[in-house]
Amino acid sequence: MLLIAFNFVREQRWPIFVLLLWVLLLAFLGLVADIPRMREDLLFLFKQVAVYVVAFSIFFGGSAIYNERKSRRILAVLSKAVRREQYLSGLVLGVTTACGIYCFALGLTGSWTLGAAGFPISRVWFLMVCLVAACMLAGTVALMFSTFLNPFLAAGATALMLGVPWIASQTVAARWAYVIPVSALTTTVLNSTFNVPGNTEWFPVCLAVLETAVFWVIAAKIFSRVDIAVAVE
Amino acid sequence: MTEMPAALEFDSVSKEYRSVFSRQCLRALDGFDLRVEAGEIFGFLGPNGAGKSTAIHIAMGFMRPTSGQGHMLGRPFGDAWTRRHVGFLAENVALYHRRVDRLLCFYGALNRMGGTRLGERAREVLQMVGLQDQAKRNAGKFSRGMLQRAGLAQALMNDPKLLILDEPTSALDPLARVMVRELIRSAREAGKTIFLSSHLLSEVELICDRVAVLHRGKLVRLGRTADLLQSTEQTEIVTRGVALQDFAGAVTHDGVVSITVPISTQRGVMQRVWELGGEIVSVNPVRRSLEQVFLEVTADSQPPQTDGRL
Ligand SMILES: Nc1ncnc2c1ncn2[C@@H]1O[C@H](COP(=O)(O)OP(=O)(O)O)[C@@H](O)[C@H]1O
Ligand SMILES: [Mg+2]
Repeated sequence: MLLIAFNFVREQRWPIFVLLLWVLLLAFLGLVADIPRMREDLLFLFKQVAVYVVAFSIFFGGSAIYNERKSRRILAVLSKAVRREQYLSGLVLGVTTACGIYCFALGLTGSWTLGAAGFPISRVWFLMVCLVAACMLAGTVALMFSTFLNPFLAAGATALMLGVPWIASQTVAARWAYVIPVSALTTTVLNSTFNVPGNTEWFPVCLAVLETAVFWVIAAKIFSRVDIAVAVE
Repeated sequence: MTEMPAALEFDSVSKEYRSVFSRQCLRALDGFDLRVEAGEIFGFLGPNGAGKSTAIHIAMGFMRPTSGQGHMLGRPFGDAWTRRHVGFLAENVALYHRRVDRLLCFYGALNRMGGTRLGERAREVLQMVGLQDQAKRNAGKFSRGMLQRAGLAQALMNDPKLLILDEPTSALDPLARVMVRELIRSAREAGKTIFLSSHLLSEVELICDRVAVLHRGKLVRLGRTADLLQSTEQTEIVTRGVALQDFAGAVTHDGVVSITVPISTQRGVMQRVWELGGEIVSVNPVRRSLEQVFLEVTADSQPPQTDGRL
């Protein structure tokens, strides 16, 4: 059941996938210009491209329901034996998969380019897992807001929700970053220098998975109550 | 024998659309009651904006009624598992942009269909709606009419017990309309219930057993199709051998003069025809057009009434 729902999301993601592939191409370009002296730039670029995906996940999550509603396609799907929460799980899975594929591709290019530039690449895959977890959580939060807000407001609300713990972690205490661990996970990626092996901390990842479940439940509760009023013409 | 549950049952359902910003509130359905029996073809009529789609969307569980409740195949509205036995075609249907055969398999799979049956059934329904040659084309490139056929195919995938069609023929050419009509007829023969909304009576009168007319969210007429169309107030007297100008409002065609009069005066008019040396060919109750029914309905805002002759 979930598989089908997620299959449909993936189906719809093709155009955006092309976009993601383009970003990947950017990473490949970094490979072509493979000069040892550029290795810091390469790392910077890698991190940049990596962190984009979190923004994408918010975008995906925030606009998925809206697009389906706007295009009226949601009706044909929800008229089947699909419960609202199943539909929502399909979307969560879809967003996660979309970001997962992106991260996988990035992981491949990352370990290749950075490896070629002489960085120890053992941690690349761990960072990618962090990213996927961050995307899953961010996407779910965005999805939750989008059940009752329009995509712009939903994206804004999500950014706020994810941003506040980050600001608090900068100003109040570092552990605030773990309230909603998206920022913690992304900063893990951003701060990673690759020069030292570094410690592999699974705690925020687990926390992200857990919180995804919580937000999914909240989103399902809200979504099963909202009216799917499609545009009238 | 136990009583069959109604295929579709609305129990004083009301729906208000509230706007978030202004305090405007639109009552799209107002204490709507209706019972559609299993096995009938039911026509759901009403002018644009009457609330037909609203009622259907509530039944499908897309929306919750503001008050009231209802049942579909014996289960409350919005029950996902019941929808396995329901086929739905939305007004202005929109489908994913994929190959039609795959698309149909996808929709079938959402209803827990699977295996080799899925592909077979997709071919069957494509045949039924006359899209068998287009099976490999992308639904995104379809014309409105073809899309509507694909939408119909999608609704038929699970061989539903209850088929709910929201304006199914609005984008179809005459030939396709005939096809839809045949499809609906054969579905009834297979014991299905069909609930179809339309604002075109000519469609409905040909196939529906019963019709309901909705106006401004209220049920204003309910009855057998023939009864609804038959005016109880007027008759048409078709005569031969009289002058047109002898009768006010008379029209002539094919060599006969037909005079439409209120029932209360038909006797007198017939006598005058005979006095003038004319001949009466036939006396028929006037069949009304839906426009007239609509006009009548709009004119009197009386509470919902049921035609007595059910
Ligand atoms: N999503 C919506 N938001 C606000 N008003 C709506 C919405 N959908 C329908 N309406 C209003 O409800 C009334 C009934 O609409 P509808 O059920 O679509 O009519 P019909 O299908 O009979 O043409 C109309 O006046 C329409 O403007
Ligand atoms: Mg409508």
